[in-house]
Order: sequence, then structure tokens, then C-alpha cells
Amino acid sequence: MAEEFSTDGMLDIYLFENSQLLEQLQDMVLEQKDEECFDEDSINEIFRTMHTIKGSSGIMMFDEITTVAHKLEDVFYYLRESHPQNVPHLELVDHVLEVADFISNEMEKIQNGDPADGEVGEIVARLDVFLEKIKSNADAGEEKPPENKHEEPKQFYISPVATSASRFYKIYIHFFEGTEMANVHAYKAVYALKEIAEDLLYSPEDIISDPSSAETIIKEGFKILLQAQCGEEEIRQIIGVGYDIEKVDVFECKAEEFLQGFDFGEQDDAPVIDLDSSVEEIEAQTQGTEDGEKAEEKKPAKPAIAPGDFVIKSKDPGKQRKLAKDKPKSDKASYISVNIGKMDQLMELIGELVISESVVLQNPDLKVPGLNLDNFNKAAAQLSKIATDLQNVIMSMRMVPLTNTFQKMNRIVFDVSRKLGKDIDFVMVGEQTEVDRNIIEHISDPLMHIVRNSVDHGIESKEERVESGKPEKGKVTLSAKTEAGKVWICVEDDGAGLDRDKIIAKARKQGLLDDNKPDSEYTDKEVFQFITLPGFSTNEVVTEYSGRGVGMDVVVQNIQKIGGSLEIESEKGFGSIMSLKIPLTLAIIDGIVMEIGTSSFVIETGAIKEFVRVNEEMMIHEPDGEEYVMIRGECFPVLRLGEWFELNNYRESVEEGVMLILEVDEKKVCLFVDKLIGEQEIVVKPIPSYIKKVKGLSGCTQLGDGSIALILDAAGLIE
Amino acid sequence: MEELSELKRQVEKDQTTSSKHDAQKGKYMTFKSGHEYFGLEIQYVNEIIQLQTITAIPETEDYIKGLINLRGKVIPVIDVRLRFKQEPFEYNDRTCIIVINIKSMVVGLIIEKIAEVVEIKEENILPPPTLGRVDKAHHKYVYGIGKVGDEVKLLLDPDKLLNDEDLSVVEQANEMNNDEG
Repeated sequence: MAEEFSTDGMLDIYLFENSQLLEQLQDMVLEQKDEECFDEDSINEIFRTMHTIKGSSGIMMFDEITTVAHKLEDVFYYLRESHPQNVPHLELVDHVLEVADFISNEMEKIQNGDPADGEVGEIVARLDVFLEKIKSNADAGEEKPPENKHEEPKQFYISPVATSASRFYKIYIHFFEGTEMANVHAYKAVYALKEIAEDLLYSPEDIISDPSSAETIIKEGFKILLQAQCGEEEIRQIIGVGYDIEKVDVFECKAEEFLQGFDFGEQDDAPVIDLDSSVEEIEAQTQGTEDGEKAEEKKPAKPAIAPGDFVIKSKDPGKQRKLAKDKPKSDKASYISVNIGKMDQLMELIGELVISESVVLQNPDLKVPGLNLDNFNKAAAQLSKIATDLQNVIMSMRMVPLTNTFQKMNRIVFDVSRKLGKDIDFVMVGEQTEVDRNIIEHISDPLMHIVRNSVDHGIESKEERVESGKPEKGKVTLSAKTEAGKVWICVEDDGAGLDRDKIIAKARKQGLLDDNKPDSEYTDKEVFQFITLPGFSTNEVVTEYSGRGVGMDVVVQNIQKIGGSLEIESEKGFGSIMSLKIPLTLAIIDGIVMEIGTSSFVIETGAIKEFVRVNEEMMIHEPDGEEYVMIRGECFPVLRLGEWFELNNYRESVEEGVMLILEVDEKKVCLFVDKLIGEQEIVVKPIPSYIKKVKGLSGCTQLGDGSIALILDAAGLIE
Repeated sequence: MEELSELKRQVEKDQTTSSKHDAQKGKYMTFKSGHEYFGLEIQYVNEIIQLQTITAIPETEDYIKGLINLRGKVIPVIDVRLRFKQEPFEYNDRTCIIVINIKSMVVGLIIEKIAEVVEIKEENILPPPTLGRVDKAHHKYVYGIGKVGDEVKLLLDPDKLLNDEDLSVVEQANEMNNDEG
């Protein structure tokens, strides 16, 4: 029977929730790492986070995580209750991060299906020592706080959302007599309800760890108080009478009854305070109570409540208050987590939809002369609008702010700078910038490398900085912005900068430079590009953080893979700026469709500077066949796509076709094509891997008539 | 030696196929290319479609004709005759595309004329003869010769058909024809 209860879903949720908690924890800790000490809110928050992790890890029986979380919780319990003075703040930060790292590590192991077997002894010992230390530091006369006893009722998996549309239910589940492990079955029901629940209480409470609760459940039934937005029917469906459950009773009830928990018993004359009061009012009152409780924090036990009292007996004050603190109740956003596979599927379907839309709207059947298409066109316009909206929504759903990635960098700067003994001011700008999820995955590692480089090689040691007249504290700025359909992520430091002479010397040694060309003829940009070549490192010393073989070449490769580029600016002695230029999204782009001979091609709109019609006089022919075109006094190399790709029936005369000026990385080229068809949203599809990569092509797409057009890769063409 | 390894390979192949696709075992999709009839094990065949507009891809081998749009999926198509280094042929309304799936790679084969699905018993499949010219890299696409009544079908190894370096099958086929005839 027990096999029926799969923990897979639970495990996913456990990992998901806890990794989010840990991320928040880490952000908070890093935010305050430079303060004197944590403020009270943070202490409470850390305490609560650890408590939650401890609780859920306990349920999932990951003892190591439970132990460590419990220890850290103890530390913060002490901090919270006793407000000790002289707490070594940085040490505390280290401890918190250490614990967070440990738990993250363990969770990763769990995710990979390995046993979570991390050694906890050392961490626990260190935390013990630390706890003793702050205890002895604190005033001796201070009253010892009561030991942390964790008496508050447990509520699991409650999403802290509540709206006025919420309804309240009392649910009684009766199991068949003789059902084994009724507690597990009961938990199954709770787990299922969790999907819809805004708040959820159940009795008996201790169904997971206490096997004897099974008896109680069979004897007395399993009681659930549920706050949700769904109807009775839905609840019945979710719980569902089965081989184990004999009967499910669902009663809708008032908010106040709900808030009283189970203490009112089951008597029918349950106290009704005010039948007419709306849910909002009750909620407002509830909030008031909560605010009152905020000051008191968690009390070990509350006095019994008289019927009709508004005090929320069985609610842990932690949960909702956290929400209230984060944002005012009026504009709460609720989130659900969605399987990324489903998102991708939806994305794909919408891509198909966009294509079929253009298949319908540009259908050749419509081109029959003499058709009255007024109504069709109206309907078609509506369809296009909806399709575009739909596409925008799915794109925005996939857009994720860079915040998490930036926070990770914050952590790296913190770690590296502490280890290297450098004092660094890390500034983040524009971390709210949103980027497609796929892209975030790809920039994290390159960015990490660049940031590490900045801290390790860029920023000089304190002594050197003072010597060169800079402030002792180095500054690293990580910024992000959106510009012209691209995302720019810059890492700027005020360190030593790149040493042009050193790089040139090294490049000469490796034979990368033209022997006849003097050093001064190379632009800074060209010189700095050398550091992105494989095996090129001017760093003689391999440190813990850099020079371990993963060089700038890998960074550049990874960035190029997603259609981005890296720009390096630097001035010796004043620092350097590394800028990543990355496309916003990979899946759907704006493109210009054009025709050469019988073939259609598409090029990303962003790569095109302008369209020009030229005449024969503007052309310059070199004897070796190279062609140039003079446009407004500027000379561009000409690339005839028809010739380049050896197509059929393309136009020879420049006067019959169109020139497209393409610009990538400040290199410009004129692309000659037969004619332009129009601009259109292009769903990018990869060229099947069976066909080897063709230079100048980056993918293919389906056009309105169902035919396939190849997508040109501007960067590839310019090369 | 070569014959031995060929046999061995064939036996191995039969074993793997029989374990997976019992119902489809021994059935071959046959088609005409040039003067010969070829057979493909039916488990590789996804579907047969009519010739569609093909988008050519520049700078690829000549037998890779380009891409087609198969209900929203983009798949490459290759011309079997060109693949066999035979004379190119005019596409007409009998020309069709056999969509095959090998190791989850979907590719269309342009063939002159589809024939039929035949069942060829294992005992009627012979290894290709190796008379003379042992030095030549023989039997690359054709791994066996199936006898159906009086006719002979050249059984293709689709994996090699797609991936191996070029080899003139015509020569090979002619040779075999002579032997059989």
C-alpha cells in the first residue's frame, strides 16, 4: 500500500521550495554583509527559513540537512531572543553561507539521485563553538531565553496567498476501518489539496512522524480546514472516494470558523460573530490581529481561546506576515511553478500557430481576383492581434530577470575578495533587466568567469592601489541594460586594466602578429581580442580562482553560441570594461524576407543598417574580382549572395536588385539581393544536424506559404 | 575474411531487429532507382509522401537536395540516385519521398518510383557476392540481396546510406546483376 504513495512529486517540491528559500536567504545575507549586524527582520527571516528547511527536510528524512538547519536555527534563535552584543558579524555571515552552501550541495546530490551523505560533524561543531562564543560575549547577567522548543502547530506547503474570493471549508474524511497507514493516506489527501489551498490546517497534526495518528484518524475521521478559491465539487474530485476513503464530507464555513482552527469542536452552535460581515472585513480584522502579534513574535503557547474570539489560535504568525512585509496586500502577485518542458511545448505550439496563421492569411486561394474579402480581412486582423498577444505573453513568461544571476556574482565577489584579502565594493545596476530563460542559462558561467577575473586580476592588492593613488577599496560594477533589441551586460572594474604592451609581446611570441606591421598599428580593440584566444594568458601565476584552464576563449565560445559577442575596453591603470552583448531571445526574431533567384532568405532586422538602391556608377571593380560600392562617400565591400551561394537565376545587374548594408561589430558589408519581400516575425528552427554547418546560415524558418527559408547569419557573412 | 565479418554483422543485425520488431520483421519497403529495385527494412520507414517544394541549401553535397517542411518539421531530403552516383533524373508525379527515421534522425529519400512492401525470409537473403575486385570497398549500402520470386532486391543499410562516404553503387549493382543473371 505504501508504494502507492510516491514521493517523487514531494521531492520535486521540496527541492524547488528549499532552493528558493536558500536563494532568498543568501541574497539577504549578502545585502547586509557590510552592516554592523543583521537587523531584526533578517534575523527572524533566517530563523524562519532554517525552521522551514528543517521541517521539510525532517519529513523527507534528510537527517544531515535537518541537523545543520537545526543548529543554525539555534544560533539565530539565540540572537533573536537575547539580542547579544558584540556578535562578530562577518563570522556569522560566513557561517550562514557555509550552511547554505552545504544544504545546496546536499540538495544537488538529492536531485541527481545520489544519497545526501555530506559530513555534518564539522559544521555543527563550528556552529556550536560560535554559539558558545556569542553567548559568552553577551552580558553574563542577561536572562537566558527559554530553550527553543518548536511548539507551534505545523503547517506544510501553504502558499501565503489569500484573496477576497477565498472560500472556507471544513472537510471530514472517513477512512474504511482496517485501512493500514491511514495517516499516509490522509497525508495524500492533504498533499493533493495543497495544489488549490491558500491555507490549510488539519487534525491530527502529526500525521507524518507519528504512526499512532493512524488510529485516531480511523476512529475519529481526518479533519481538514481549507481556504481555497474552488467549489465544493472540485474538492471532492481532488480527494475522491476510493478504496481507502469511505466518505468525504465537505461543508462550507465562515472565515471566522476557519480562523479558530479546530478548537471550536464540532458543536452546531459554533459561535458566529457576525453573519453579515464580509470576508474582506474579517480579513482586515485578521490582519490587525496579526500585526499585533508581530511585536510579540512566537510565543511558546497561547492561552485557550473562548469561542468567538478572533485570535488565530492555530496559525503560525510567521507565514502571512512575511507576505505582508514584502509587499502591501493590495497588489499581491501569485505565482505557480510550471514544468519547464510544458513551457517549451507551449512555446513550440505558439510558434506553429504563428506559422499557420501566416499560411492562412497569405493563402494563395485568397488571391483569386474578384473576391470580396472584407469580412475575412476583419476576422483575419483580429486573429493576428490575438496571435501576436499570445506570442508576447509566452515570451514574457519566459523572460526572467537577471537578479538571480547577479546575486550569484555578488556571492562570488564576496568569496573571492575575502579569500584574496581585497576589499571590494560590488555594485549592481539594472539587475531587473529581463532575458529569455534559455539565455540566462548560457550566460551564467561566462559571466562568472569575467567577474572572477575582474576581482582576481583586475583589482590590485590594497598596497598597490594606495601606491597608485586609488582608494583602497576596489570597485566592481555589474550592470545590465537593454538596447536595440540586445542585452548588454557589463563588468567594469577600476583595477589595473589590461597591459597592452604585455599582450603584444606575448602575441608576437606566439606568432599571432604580422611581423612587418609595427605594434602601434594595432588598435586597442584588436590587441585586447588576443586575450580571448585559446592558450593565451598573460597571467603567470595560477591562482585558485583563475588560470585553471577555463580561459576567456571558452567564455567567448559560450557567448557566441547564443549569438552574443564580447567587447573589451581597457585603459592601463584605470581599469577595464568587459561588455557582453546578447540577444534578448532566441526563439522568435523580427526578420526581413528577401528573394534571390528562386530561393528565399531571411535576415534578422537588427543586423540591417539600411536598404539602398545603387547604380552602376557607384560600383568599384577590382581586377581580382572584388567589388566595392561607394555610398555617400563611404566604401563598402559587396557580397553577392547569389554568387556566394551559387544559386540559380539571380540578378546580375546591381540596378535591378537591392543592397542591404549589414553591420556587425562595427564591420559593415553590402549584401546584394534580388528583391525584398517584407518584414515578418520569424520562428527560428535549427537546420537538421544531418546537414553540416554552412557558413553564413544560422537556421531556417517556415514562411507563410509553407515553404522553408534559410536564415542568414550576418556575422558569418561578414567574416 | 570480409565475407565472414559481413555475415557476422548481418546476424547481429537480425538478432537486434527480431527482438524489437517482431511484427515488422522480414518486411521490406521496395522502390525503384535506375534499373534496380532496392529494399529498406520497414521498421525504418516512417511514411511515404509526395514530392514537395524543396529548399536548396548552398554549399552541400549534390545529393543533399535541401529541406522540406513536413507538417511543421524541417527535414533534409537526399536524392537516392545521386547518392548512388547514378545519372540524375527528372522529378515527376511518380517521384516520392520516403521518410525514414534512423536513430531518431529523420531524413527523406527522393526515389523514382515506389514499388511495394514485400516479405523476404531470412533464408532468401544472401550476402552480396564478392567476386573479384576485393580491393574495392564493396557492399557499403547494400548489405544483402533478397530474392522474391524471380526478382532480386538490393537490401540497403540505411545508416550507411546516410552517413558513409560516397561509393558507386551502380557498379556494384551491375556486377551483382550479371552474377545473378
